[in-house]
Amino acid sequence: MRKIYFPVKKPLELKVMDKIEIYGKIFCGRDAVLPKIARLYQEGHLDKLFIDLSGSIIFHTAVSPAGIGPTSSNKLDIESTIPILSQAGVKLHLGKGSLKQKTVEALDNYKSYFAVTPPVSALFASKVISQRVVAFPEEGMEALYELEVTGLPAIIAIANGESIF
Amino acid sequence: MRQFTAERISNIVADTLIKASVSFREDQIKAYGTAIEAEEDSKAKWVLNNILANAEAGEKGKLPLCDDTGIPHVFLEVGDGAELPVGFFAAVDEGIAQGLRSLPGRPMAVKGDDIQRMIQSKGLYEDPGILKPAPLQLRRLPGKQVKLTVLMYGGGPEIRGKTQRVFHKHSLDVIKREMINWALEGSKLLGCLPCVLAFGIGRSNVEAASLSLEAMKDGNFQKQNQLEQEITDEVNKSNIGPLGIGGKTTVLGTFIKVGPQRASGVRIISLRVGCCFDPRKATYTWNL
Repeated sequence: MRKIYFPVKKPLELKVMDKIEIYGKIFCGRDAVLPKIARLYQEGHLDKLFIDLSGSIIFHTAVSPAGIGPTSSNKLDIESTIPILSQAGVKLHLGKGSLKQKTVEALDNYKSYFAVTPPVSALFASKVISQRVVAFPEEGMEALYELEVTGLPAIIAIANGESIF
Repeated sequence: MRQFTAERISNIVADTLIKASVSFREDQIKAYGTAIEAEEDSKAKWVLNNILANAEAGEKGKLPLCDDTGIPHVFLEVGDGAELPVGFFAAVDEGIAQGLRSLPGRPMAVKGDDIQRMIQSKGLYEDPGILKPAPLQLRRLPGKQVKLTVLMYGGGPEIRGKTQRVFHKHSLDVIKREMINWALEGSKLLGCLPCVLAFGIGRSNVEAASLSLEAMKDGNFQKQNQLEQEITDEVNKSNIGPLGIGGKTTVLGTFIKVGPQRASGVRIISLRVGCCFDPRKATYTWNL
């Protein structure tokens, strides 16, 4: 079990089936907000949000009083942003479900990874230290959040052009 | 009929919704236990153990099993000899709202007019209680009981299920093959595995979908008929496994409800590829 603290400063060097634990600051976003972030990056306006995606992780989840838990990463709004956000510096995408070959290649191209985690929201509840909205608060539970977490469990599902699916 | 005051009905519905959302039933815990024993892959075991531990944490802390607390579906069975009081359905709706607020449910009711809701352009309500339940399902029962079941339906399985016609060619094998193919198709993409397959087989799209919900309501992992077991076993050969990372347990159980059928070469089949927490359900029975 490897412990990883985010944001990372060095390349991650992971392989599929590696079990990891996630610590530190993580971004959370899903269907509504990720396409907006991707568009801002492509238009060169990401600095307007005062966020730095380099070495970061994005957990595909809503954030609400009901807790956090992975949503399906293969939904169009989410999967289509994975290559763009990887280019923007995101090193780990955390969610669930299989991704397309094209996405597997894009991840490899930007030395980024995809991990999956079981949807165990009741267990996650004890692993969130703090949370704040970073951008697009009008999206409610689908806004971009930053969470501080301690030990979210995950398994690397896509790495180095290889997928377990 | 003291037990049938609006307030008591609402409180009972709220408690039933919460019970459905935070805990596993005995048949479900047993099914996971059996699956963990049978699983040889350590990562698959790790996922299954996490799901069981999550259910324990949920029950203990009254925490939602999943952050997608789901859309409430109410299934009501009314005895032929039972009489519902005036305002019963309003009290049920109030109980659902009350349950969602105290759970708390995920605040995911979408704002706006028809068009704005369709494209989600006006954002979401912060109040979890504004989320409306799906249209209520009603069945008759003999006797004087009134049974109310709340099922919480998460969004992932909605992407993986479907309702469609099958040309049966008077062969169970043809129908079974189709059911297995749909299940494989959905399981590959679901993520939150092991899944539970709920099939309804009827004469119209709405009847089949309603029967699928009824299958979920009645389903018990410890009671599998031959067809249900065959479908489970066949899909489990796929090695998709818990969380889709490989293993023997892709399906935890299959629930099938076959309704009356149309004189025709066509059957309408509705499938929900339920997630690893499905069915999130609880029932309350009034004995009048």
